[in-house]
Amino acid sequence: MPLITLQTLPDYARHVLAAAESAAAFYPVTASVRLPGLDLSVHLDHGTLAEAMSHAFIPAPENPSASDGCRIFVAHPAIDGVPAPATWGRGDYNHHAFANRLEEAGLRGSYYHDLDFWQFHDPQRHVGAQLMMSADAFPPWEQGAPLRAFLHWEYAARGMRLTHAGTLGIDGKGVLLAGSGGAGKSGTVVAGLLNGLDSVGDDYVLIDRTEGVTAYPLFATLKQDPEGFKRLKLEGRLNSYQPLNWQGKHAFHINEVAPRPTPASLDIIALIVPHIRGGARSSVMPISRKDAMIALAPSGIVQMPGEREAGFRFFSELTRDLPCYRLSLGTEPREIAGTIADFVLRGAA
Amino acid sequence: MQQRVYGVASKDIVFESFDGEAVVLDLSNGKYFGFSDSGSRVWQALSSGVATEALVGVAAGAAKISLADLESFIARLLDFGLLAPAETPAQPLSGELSSALAASNEPLKVDVHDDLADLIIVDPIHEVEEPLGWPAVKQA
Repeated sequence: MPLITLQTLPDYARHVLAAAESAAAFYPVTASVRLPGLDLSVHLDHGTLAEAMSHAFIPAPENPSASDGCRIFVAHPAIDGVPAPATWGRGDYNHHAFANRLEEAGLRGSYYHDLDFWQFHDPQRHVGAQLMMSADAFPPWEQGAPLRAFLHWEYAARGMRLTHAGTLGIDGKGVLLAGSGGAGKSGTVVAGLLNGLDSVGDDYVLIDRTEGVTAYPLFATLKQDPEGFKRLKLEGRLNSYQPLNWQGKHAFHINEVAPRPTPASLDIIALIVPHIRGGARSSVMPISRKDAMIALAPSGIVQMPGEREAGFRFFSELTRDLPCYRLSLGTEPREIAGTIADFVLRGAA
Repeated sequence: MQQRVYGVASKDIVFESFDGEAVVLDLSNGKYFGFSDSGSRVWQALSSGVATEALVGVAAGAAKISLADLESFIARLLDFGLLAPAETPAQPLSGELSSALAASNEPLKVDVHDDLADLIIVDPIHEVEEPLGWPAVKQA
């Protein structure tokens, strides 16, 4: 079993990509999904990830002229020609140094120690490989947002960015909701959906700054902790729901709570930082761009492997593009949704 | 008198200014730093090679920057690994920066934003050993 170091990392990445791609004929499943400006083809085995391919994404409307293809090979040693994953060698592992070393070689990548779970991507050829010890040996977050790292690298190469933010909107206009875990982001998104607003995502959305700020949907999963689940009365609204996920949260599909099909995009008119205050009514007040940036950027950069400086610059520009506000949350979902709807409609007028 | 000059500690320290307030990110460990308005101006001056001595006595809002406040502020920046002593010649304090300092209204301040705990809850992509940096540094 080879031990990988920073010195050997680029060679290993190329080896994994070549081996995974050479085994193309032996993957039992090929799944395709059309995402905004990107046709994603995934070669993989039967199992949980293959099932996730069919329900974890929100497919984009057909627009062939805008689409580029990207192929991802989800490999493990039971597939003919695929080697067992290597492990990290002696010496420190530092994520930043890891990403920099690969970037020097024109590649992107990520490694999760506990499972010897490797992801490598060649953004020039639009080919990626995910190498696991077995078909189900992936970190738990992969199921809700599969192949997130590859999408991050593909879209970053096109000047866009996966952004760790929620969205709510009405009539095609909307707001980005930014903040770290516990800030009230997910609860606000679900409260809005249950009371007539649209969303293109609760956790990760794709942001394009080419013409104004546009948010596109990628992933269909919404999450709520048991307290929020109860407060929002989701038990009675969902036809069925799964056991708590790895975070101790209920996970469900956006279509189960959305009033309409997910819109293809939202024109974003403001960046909003939710804040759980506990007052009777919600209120929206301006905040400094510095504070908004600090709410928006850290998780979006650190949760996405590599390209931290480019992410920092992107989120800085995004923060400058938008007026920034703090939303002090009331306690009633309908009132929260009404406050946001009024805000969006006033801003769009 | 020997002038003390500093510079940005490494190429992993990146920063942006928002309406005069700086946000600094240490790319190597994911830590963010938010500066008050006067802190942002002093950071801007120090990181561009203005000598410490040139800032003492300069108006910052209604007060003037004292040596003690400046030294305490610089000590924090050194502790955070944002600044490092430099051998380069001292640069002059521009009139623009001096005016901006005079127009500031918050005392010299920098906050560290290490959303470690929250982010672990959101998505523990990697194990974390905080003293060694984040995401994790891990021995094989």
